[in-house]
Amino acid sequence: MNRLVKDNILKGITYIASALSVIVLAAILWYLVSNGLSLISSDLIVGDYYATTENAAISNDYIYDESAIGEYTGEGYYSAKWGIALEDITTAHNDEEISVVYVDPNSPFMHMNSLVSGEDGMALSLTEGSSIQNIYYLDEAGETVFLSRVKMADAQNTIAVLDANATGIVSINYESIGGGIRGSIFATLYLIGISLLISLPIGISSAIYLHEYASKNKINSLIRQGIDTLTGVPSIVYGLMGVTVLFPVTQLAGATSTSILLGGLTLAIMLLPTIIRSTEEALIVVPQSLRDGSLSLGATKSQTIFKVVLPCAVNGILTGVLLGIGRVIGESAALVYTTSTVINDNPTILSQGTSLSLMIWSIMSGEQPNYELASAISLIILVIVFAINFIVKIIGKRLAKSFV
Amino acid sequence: METCFDVKNIDLFYGDKQALKDVNMEIYKNRVTAFIGPSGCGKSTFIRCLNRMNDLIEGCKVSGEIIKDGLDIYSPKQDIVDLRTRVGMVFQKPNPFPMSIYDNIAYGPRCQGLKDKKKLDEIVTTSLKQVALYDEVADRLGDSAIGLSGGQQQRLCIARCIAMSPEVILMDEPTSALDPISTSKIEDLCLELKKDYTIVIVTHNMQQAARISDYTAFFLLGEVVEMDETDTIFSHPKDKRTENYITGRFG
Repeated sequence: MNRLVKDNILKGITYIASALSVIVLAAILWYLVSNGLSLISSDLIVGDYYATTENAAISNDYIYDESAIGEYTGEGYYSAKWGIALEDITTAHNDEEISVVYVDPNSPFMHMNSLVSGEDGMALSLTEGSSIQNIYYLDEAGETVFLSRVKMADAQNTIAVLDANATGIVSINYESIGGGIRGSIFATLYLIGISLLISLPIGISSAIYLHEYASKNKINSLIRQGIDTLTGVPSIVYGLMGVTVLFPVTQLAGATSTSILLGGLTLAIMLLPTIIRSTEEALIVVPQSLRDGSLSLGATKSQTIFKVVLPCAVNGILTGVLLGIGRVIGESAALVYTTSTVINDNPTILSQGTSLSLMIWSIMSGEQPNYELASAISLIILVIVFAINFIVKIIGKRLAKSFV
Repeated sequence: METCFDVKNIDLFYGDKQALKDVNMEIYKNRVTAFIGPSGCGKSTFIRCLNRMNDLIEGCKVSGEIIKDGLDIYSPKQDIVDLRTRVGMVFQKPNPFPMSIYDNIAYGPRCQGLKDKKKLDEIVTTSLKQVALYDEVADRLGDSAIGLSGGQQQRLCIARCIAMSPEVILMDEPTSALDPISTSKIEDLCLELKKDYTIVIVTHNMQQAARISDYTAFFLLGEVVEMDETDTIFSHPKDKRTENYITGRFG
């Protein structure tokens, strides 16, 4: 009886422990979804982070014809006179704006020229999602009237004013939406690509050396111990090492400041222990009898490794790749010094930029932390991790199949 | 009768432990030579000396000579990879590679650089026919070899070995993991194969040695106690220890 009670208590503890971890996971997910889900849209994913201001005038060769402007039955307040529909929104930056939801193809707002110096005269058209800052229009007397943001008040009022008073549009000042994370998504993908491209060949080769070639002497056990120690080094230390040691290397490639390349190289070094360890674990599992069989058939050692051992270990190696990708996506400390914390909408390998995780850090460390955008980015990170997990598993299955 | 291996004064150490003590014997071509003896007596260790598989074990040191075709296989001049193409091996547990049946057999020739599909097809077919496996697997050569039964796997391993057209096939307790029917198939195979190959087989099963071998060597504690024609060993053993072992008084 006593033994049974003990058994049940132990069982209960394990149940509670696993339930607790599930609850914590669910709570995190719930927090992210409730805060960030409303922000997730295609604009968030493909849009720029920084809003750009455009100042545009209606082009001279446009002839206004009210009858050419079509009907619109979607959301927002529509002006059938000017062919534009507006609505009130709150942006990712927590600003209240008047946003364009629809522009008719024959509307004057589709036939404009830029007034911004440098782009002067370039053809422009008002895009959906932009927010309107002010409008100059002609009244019935032919005078130019300035409709400021304050006078516009909200979408409904703006449409009403334009419909009632305007006889022509002169120019418009509007902002693209901003708050998008496209640049950071690309920067993250660059980081994953660069770090894996470097750490995978080196890591797998080192693991092969350590497990297949190295004899059990002092030097090799020292190497092994070193690799194990590297796993425990805090990532900020890798970041410091990267900016001091690897920066000259990226200078050779043409970098003038910290760059995504520098971040990728740093992460590659950070991933090495993970990849070496997981590859070695995978090699250990491959039965010695297969190596014996291959060698006894007159295969050389390298033939044995590449034709028999590695294909058997491919799933374990992919697990290492997965862990590596997860670490790259989640890393922020090592990147603070190496890729900088400046959000970049159009990152290149040699420019600065932030990964998604680092972008969260950037957003949250400002004067007004933006919890909603941070949660939305976290959700997207989760989705990317799931997607990569899925893809790697499919590749693993394919490889295993092609080997059978 | 031609000599295949001429073994002279082989001593083998695993670290400090001596596993083989002054082994001398001649192994003849196109004969089946069986090694018998209790567990841990060094017979498997010795058979692995014949194609230098012991090189893979760390801390293993061999002294003495094994002459094959006029060259000591332990001399630095010996190309080990080449030696293993001439001296094939079948292991205790079937160890097919996790590939298709076809790829398993084509593995050895491919490693030697053979790419001609026609030749490979021919090698695969003849090898499978020689081990009497062809009829059983002819329609599923592309299937994984892991799906075969234990006995089929072991015959596949023998076929894989034959595909290299070696001179010698070493078999390290090839039937110890198999059921009696598969065992008898492999024994028949040995008798069949000795026309073309020299076979050396390690076995725990004395009846098996008596059934298939021409020569038998009795190992005990790393020494060869007695080696002679199989009939002589089993009917008139010269050494008292051999007699005790084969009559089942110990071991």
